[in-house]
Amino acid sequence: MPVFWIVSIVLVLAVAGYVAAKARVLKLAGGDSRRLHSRHVYYGWYGALLVATPALLVLAAWMAAQPVVIDRGIAADLPPSVMREGVNPAIVVQDVRRTATALSQGLREGVLTRTDLADAAAQAETLRPRLTEAGIRLPPAASEPAMLGAGGEYRARQVAGHWAMTGVVLLLAVGGLVLGHRQSQPQTRARNLVERFVKAALITCSSIAILTTAGIVLSMVFESAQFFRQYAWTDFFFGTTWSPRFGGGSQLGILPLLWGTLYISAIALVVAVPIGLFAAIYMSEYASNRVRSFVKPTIEVLAGIPTIVYGLFALMTVGPMLRDWFAQPLGLGSSGSSVMTAGLVMGIMLIPFVSSLSDDIINAVPQSLRDGALGLGSTQSETVRKVVLPAALPGIVGAVLLAASRAIGETMIVVMGAGAAAKMDLNPFEAMTTITVKIVSQLTGDTDFNSAETLVAFALGLSLFVITLILNIVALYVVRKYREQYE
Amino acid sequence: MTSAKLTVSALAVIAATASVAHAREQIQVSGSSTVLPYSTIAAEAFSENTDFPTPVIESGGSSAGLQKFCQGVGENTVDIANASRPIRESEIETCRANGVTDIIEVQIGYDGIVFASDIEGPDFEFTPADWYNALAAEVVVDGEIAANPYTRWNQIRPELPDQAILAFVPGTKHGTREVFEEKVIADGCEESGASDAFTAARGEDGADACTVLRTDGRSVDIDGDYTETLARIQSDKDGIGVFGLSFYENNTDKLKVGTISGVTPSTETIASGEYPVSRPLYFYLKKAHIGTIPGLKEFAEFFVSDAVAGPSGPLAQYGLVADPELAQVQQTVADEATMQ
Amino acid sequence: MTDLSASGAARKSSLVTLDDRTRRRNAAERRFRAYGVAAIATAALALAILLVTIVGNGVGAFRQTFVTIPVTLDAQQLDPAGNRDRGEMSGVLTLAYGGLLNQSLRQSIEGAGIEVEGLTDRDIDDLISKDAPAQIRNRVLANPDLVGQTVEVAVLTNGRVDGYYKGRVSLASAANDGNTSPQQLALADALKERGLLATKWNWAFLTNPDASDQRPEAAGVGIAILGSLYMMLVVLFLAVPIGVAASIYLEEFAPKNRLTDVIEVNIANLAAVPSIVFGILGLAAFINFAGLPQSAPIVGGLVLVLMTLPTIIISTRAALKAVPPSIRDAALGVGASRMQTVFHHVLPLALPGILTGTIIGLAQALGETAPLLLIGMVAFVRNFPAAPPEGLFDPASALPVQVYNWTQRADPAFFERASGAIIVLLVLLLCMNLLAIYLRRRFERRW
Repeated sequence: MPVFWIVSIVLVLAVAGYVAAKARVLKLAGGDSRRLHSRHVYYGWYGALLVATPALLVLAAWMAAQPVVIDRGIAADLPPSVMREGVNPAIVVQDVRRTATALSQGLREGVLTRTDLADAAAQAETLRPRLTEAGIRLPPAASEPAMLGAGGEYRARQVAGHWAMTGVVLLLAVGGLVLGHRQSQPQTRARNLVERFVKAALITCSSIAILTTAGIVLSMVFESAQFFRQYAWTDFFFGTTWSPRFGGGSQLGILPLLWGTLYISAIALVVAVPIGLFAAIYMSEYASNRVRSFVKPTIEVLAGIPTIVYGLFALMTVGPMLRDWFAQPLGLGSSGSSVMTAGLVMGIMLIPFVSSLSDDIINAVPQSLRDGALGLGSTQSETVRKVVLPAALPGIVGAVLLAASRAIGETMIVVMGAGAAAKMDLNPFEAMTTITVKIVSQLTGDTDFNSAETLVAFALGLSLFVITLILNIVALYVVRKYREQYE
Repeated sequence: MTSAKLTVSALAVIAATASVAHAREQIQVSGSSTVLPYSTIAAEAFSENTDFPTPVIESGGSSAGLQKFCQGVGENTVDIANASRPIRESEIETCRANGVTDIIEVQIGYDGIVFASDIEGPDFEFTPADWYNALAAEVVVDGEIAANPYTRWNQIRPELPDQAILAFVPGTKHGTREVFEEKVIADGCEESGASDAFTAARGEDGADACTVLRTDGRSVDIDGDYTETLARIQSDKDGIGVFGLSFYENNTDKLKVGTISGVTPSTETIASGEYPVSRPLYFYLKKAHIGTIPGLKEFAEFFVSDAVAGPSGPLAQYGLVADPELAQVQQTVADEATMQ
Repeated sequence: MTDLSASGAARKSSLVTLDDRTRRRNAAERRFRAYGVAAIATAALALAILLVTIVGNGVGAFRQTFVTIPVTLDAQQLDPAGNRDRGEMSGVLTLAYGGLLNQSLRQSIEGAGIEVEGLTDRDIDDLISKDAPAQIRNRVLANPDLVGQTVEVAVLTNGRVDGYYKGRVSLASAANDGNTSPQQLALADALKERGLLATKWNWAFLTNPDASDQRPEAAGVGIAILGSLYMMLVVLFLAVPIGVAASIYLEEFAPKNRLTDVIEVNIANLAAVPSIVFGILGLAAFINFAGLPQSAPIVGGLVLVLMTLPTIIISTRAALKAVPPSIRDAALGVGASRMQTVFHHVLPLALPGILTGTIIGLAQALGETAPLLLIGMVAFVRNFPAAPPEGLFDPASALPVQVYNWTQRADPAFFERASGAIIVLLVLLLCMNLLAIYLRRRFERRW
């Protein structure tokens, strides 16, 4: 029975559990739902959860575990003629698995029969041509009859495991159904039980964020440690030169990259925050509903344009324009790529992050606050500046933080707009680059993957992680301090 | 309770998907983006003319490709790693530690590295010494070591055009940069006698200064690809870019190539060794996967066959410099001869 | 506004006439309004410029030049054994088909009486795309009875000839071009005059898989669209419910203590993690640890889920926070449990905000390349993935990946195709946005 069907059956049983439990309590209460502890739907939900949760959890766990268990088992039981000398056992097990798949396919297409499979090793000579004729590819290792035997065995275990799983899962589902039926009493505190379950599910979901963080740190920390074994940490954190070399003797100081990151992000925010905020204010406070419902998604398109388009725009249009109109006349250099170019173009990309989120937040400020302010005689702009914005501040800060986060993580626009040269300079018309760009380029480069030049990407990633962490803590503190809670 | 419903349906989808554990049918290749075009041309032709599915070819750089290659053996690891440089000793060790012991090294040919400028601009006839003098951070002027003073090409050598120095060189992540530093800048340093001056002034390691490039904006690192270099030349007509031969050959209507020591780059002059700046391209093959991944050996043999990688094959048409010793490479693949 | 009332007391003038202060305030009001209009205009202008550039560059990808010629499928070359056996005929390589095509083209040129000075054999042979022999071969292998007949086929021309009719290549640039020649273009013009060559609408761009660097004319976004859709499916099914659930817990139920502060900072921080780092995580967790296959949309989708979660959580929390406490108090006051309050009252009111966050998150996921770089999805894939759920485990590409790949290729014809792929991406995005507009309209309200 395919897993899809098992899941479907479980879900059908869950629906049955829902209906049955609901009907039963109503009947026990004599049709008067006031005599129940909870509203009757909660009994239904409780019944459904009892059916579905254990069954589906066991199903998932079983499916994850079964291949591993079978692989282990088969590896231990393989005859020596299959375990070839000097061949990695993992490859042999893989061959067995492929043989098993081919045999199953043969069975499905009617080329083989169940009796053929029972002792595949003995009938190897007749099986092979039949499979080949049907266009089913056997791994070359299956020229060994014992391999076919092992494949048959593997398949047998798979099938046995699968039926055992089906049995257990359906049994659990039916058990849940029975239990649900039994527990459907008017005095059962069904709502509390269901809510406890929902809360557990919510907590599980929130913990994914923590797990992600742990995963990120874990996936970078070993390589970073390896990097710091090869390269002095003082040089990394306090070095002011970034110049990786192929032949060794690289200087890998983070400071110029950090400076570039902050500089470019700052310019991007200076562009995006005012434009985004004013756009949001206009949309939510001045524009008619029709205009707003058109303008808002239009601006959101900006967030969806692939960054490579912005990058090309920066490279071909904005870069030369800034160079010819500003940098050269002002005597600030003649670089086609500059911090300013990348910052401006990235700012445009970030507008919707600020505008759309802020618009939602501003829109959610209670109308009574506006009415109050307007009633006291303030103009609309005064209302916005003195009342609405302070009330919406925490959300707006969140939006700006999100925009800043995107700015820090962006690569394409920086590579094409600001170049790849690491430099510490105040001149906004100089080429500079960011940490993220260097993470990507060192990871996707041609250097030896065990060398400091590649491993530095992990150290950079981890450092950036810590830096943004600190910035976020500060932001949280600031928001807490200045938050205005109305009502 | 919409979220509960969603959760249930999500669970159903996960459960439905987790049931599929099927054997990989296609060859999985990862690695260098320089080898990528050749690899895709070979893969496409391979699947057209055989019953095997088209190999999946990832790009992500030699380093990432080899790292994946050395992750271990088995279906969920890659079979072939493309590389624009030979595998290093430390990488082989990592491979071995992860059970990847038998590696077949296949050299598919050479990648020529050329210097090209905008087609409307003047002709350039470079020598390595010109490049050294144009781009090094420190050069020798009148016998004295000094920070690079040159701003126009004709200041270096009067025969060169009167054009501002602006070079787009591959960033330090690119293997091309290594070749550029070693075969052009370091050679030029040697040729112009600057390396002797450095050694005389600073001792043994003094010549290291040869390959340090200037950072005043006249040498621009390109971390992207050749299309970015081309775009930069188009937005700044004075620029001269470092390209792969194949890229130049596909853009001869926009670019004009410079000669090195009087030799014009072409597949012939590079194959004969007259044109000095080139690098070998490789792919690495897991011997353990031959026989278990369908079509793996056939693909390798097809790739290096005369009809594909030979001097008149599609790869050479695209700009690969065919390996003069292709027959030997074919033998290596046929014998499944592993590296030591 | 104490200062206001103080000065108001001193005011003698009538309410009907404007005094200086009112005028100033009104001017400020107008300025403020103008800023808003200017901001929106700036954003709209930037969008217009970008869209015009993209469409201008990319619309050509949807049209393609074909040459129509009769091809005699010579039985001797294509089926030497003469038994029309598919297995044996597959032994004939594309090389033989290429020869046949070239021969047919030459015959048609002669038949049409076209003469171009200085035209070489190579010019003629190269006029036809390198993909054409494979097309014919597939057609013949699918229907072996075609052998021996003469069939009329419309085959692709090479990228340069195609570019000539799209303005990318000119006779002047062709003179310098190693891949075409003015003679070849003259031949194309002559063929066009006789109606044998035409530039037509090209559905194949939407349905074809990627093609190698030598065949820009045959490349399409079919697999990329599928791959992107598969990944969006995973993101939609996982990121949205998980993100919303996490936000509900953090905003409505979690006790305000150290731990929740940690989680809050943590999520904000995850939003700032560069996307390639999620690729590192995906490689380590899903491929190396969990043993999922390389280049598979399921892995790409999971990585994008982790990447978009913070965006969704942050905006959902902001939206929940914006629901006035009075709503909650009222619900609690009539005896709803906290869970009921949240699910029945707060969540529906917060829906527009949640949608905004979801759309921005999905848009970000739809356009992201960097995290896919390390998990093998930035790849050349030519075999279509199966239908989901199995297809989620087959190798596939994605639209932004295709754009990224194509912009790196040497042949300038790929640039047009990259822009075409961006148009497709934007159309997908617009569909998502339209859905969001509709939903937002339904749920939005003010209080």
